[in-house]
Amino acid sequence: MGRILRTIASRWSRLVLVALLLLSLQTTLFSEVRPFGYSAQLMAMFVAAAGSSHDVRVGAIVGLVSGFMFDAVLATPLGISAVVFGVVGAGASLMMQPFREPTWWLRILVVSVSAASSEVVTPLVNSVVGLGGWLNLHMLVAALVTFAAALLFAGPLIPVTRWTLSEKVSLGRD
Amino acid sequence: MAQNKTNLTRALVLLALAAVFFITLDLGGSGSTSRVRRMFDTIFSPVENVSRVVTRPLSGAWNAVREYDDVVAENDRLKEQVALQEGAAVAAAASVRLSQELLALNGLPTLAGINSVTAQVIGETPTNFSQTVEINQGENSGIKVGMPVLNAAGLIGKVTEVFADRALVMLISDPDYALSVKVVTKSSRTPVTLPPLPTEDAPTVDSVLETTDTSTTSSTSTTTTTILGFTPSATTIPAEVVAGAGSSITVPLASQLSVRETGILEGRGPGTRPIVRFLDATTRAAAIEVGAPIVSAGGSRSLAPPDIVIGVVSRVVERLGTAGPVLEIELVADLSNLSFLRVLLYQPITESGR
Repeated sequence: MGRILRTIASRWSRLVLVALLLLSLQTTLFSEVRPFGYSAQLMAMFVAAAGSSHDVRVGAIVGLVSGFMFDAVLATPLGISAVVFGVVGAGASLMMQPFREPTWWLRILVVSVSAASSEVVTPLVNSVVGLGGWLNLHMLVAALVTFAAALLFAGPLIPVTRWTLSEKVSLGRD
Repeated sequence: MAQNKTNLTRALVLLALAAVFFITLDLGGSGSTSRVRRMFDTIFSPVENVSRVVTRPLSGAWNAVREYDDVVAENDRLKEQVALQEGAAVAAAASVRLSQELLALNGLPTLAGINSVTAQVIGETPTNFSQTVEINQGENSGIKVGMPVLNAAGLIGKVTEVFADRALVMLISDPDYALSVKVVTKSSRTPVTLPPLPTEDAPTVDSVLETTDTSTTSSTSTTTTTILGFTPSATTIPAEVVAGAGSSITVPLASQLSVRETGILEGRGPGTRPIVRFLDATTRAAAIEVGAPIVSAGGSRSLAPPDIVIGVVSRVVERLGTAGPVLEIELVADLSNLSFLRVLLYQPITESGR
């Protein structure tokens, strides 16, 4: 019983639940609110925020898990977004490594740049697997929209990812 | 700590391999990934519905602020347009009915013979790298992968993913969308005008119509044809045409009738018009006019039945050498403003079994 409770309360279960909630926001609110016709990528921001607060492995795993969930609601091949978000999560973590004590604004900047990079990596991965047609100037505008949105949303998302991925679990007794 | 890192590394490697495995599986056309999507949809759908209800005021406010002026201007323009087109619509409806009757009479397939399901758009694509919309009808309504989707104006795309009560529709502007189409072109030859015929050589109605029993007067003929199910009415012909009394007759040659070039329509992403490439490289750009209608070609392996209106030619791009021209297409359907759609319950052979 304790083992099951520990599994349910583990950070990976929390990750799935939080990602599910953010994914529902991505497919509803963020799909309809489209500045300049482009959708801001909340899931990419979440993955980048996780990467910026944790090590490379955790960042990549959060990206892969969130990406699989994102792929499940898209019509694109299952695994494409997983690869893209895996790269974004690991990339955000790697970008933070040179800074021993990063300031809050530096972290927000890293999250924004990493999230925006997902809009460039996606068409590249699409082209690699043979789904061409998206490598054009539109992706730069899409990246700019996500970058601007991430400047707004990275602040609240960073504490959310810290809580989601915190290892200490309080179950009343251990 | 070291154990934890090893576990994380193992999980990472497994997830990365799973991603590559699933991409390979999905691109190979395996149906197992669809099952994974359906299972996930069972869990995700209630969460998404709650989110949609909660966030509706926010998206409504965004649309109100951003589009109010445009909506007012468009409303005025549309009122004027509706007034102009009311008369034309009646005439067009009569022509469409006549065309469908003629097609049915000759045993040719028509859209009227295909059942359809009306659906409402409930969501747009959450990504910037696919052109899809989500509709509120799915497998329970008989919708299957590959079925063509229309709105009131014309073809807008095809169903690519089906769940129990919803489906994803790939829009015609998606770069992964391709469809065989026909372009109605003008004739390459000029009409022939025959000189006036002497009265004794004038054509009779017998020679023009394939008849079994014809009685002709100077101005009216009653015709009985051999075409099954067709009941002709009395045909009134001007006396001077029958008699050939001194006037020229312009005879339409077979080459004067509309020529249909067949090509492949390809989407090119948002904000960019789709193009048509020709299967026949010898097609001459001069034979195609701007404004020529584009309709689906049909055929046993086509993704859509024949003669669904898609758009009109907006630009003809000639290419050097033996490469045929490329046409830019202005779609008749406004893909940025979709609400109610019609899914034709017609599954192409190429998509059957999915």
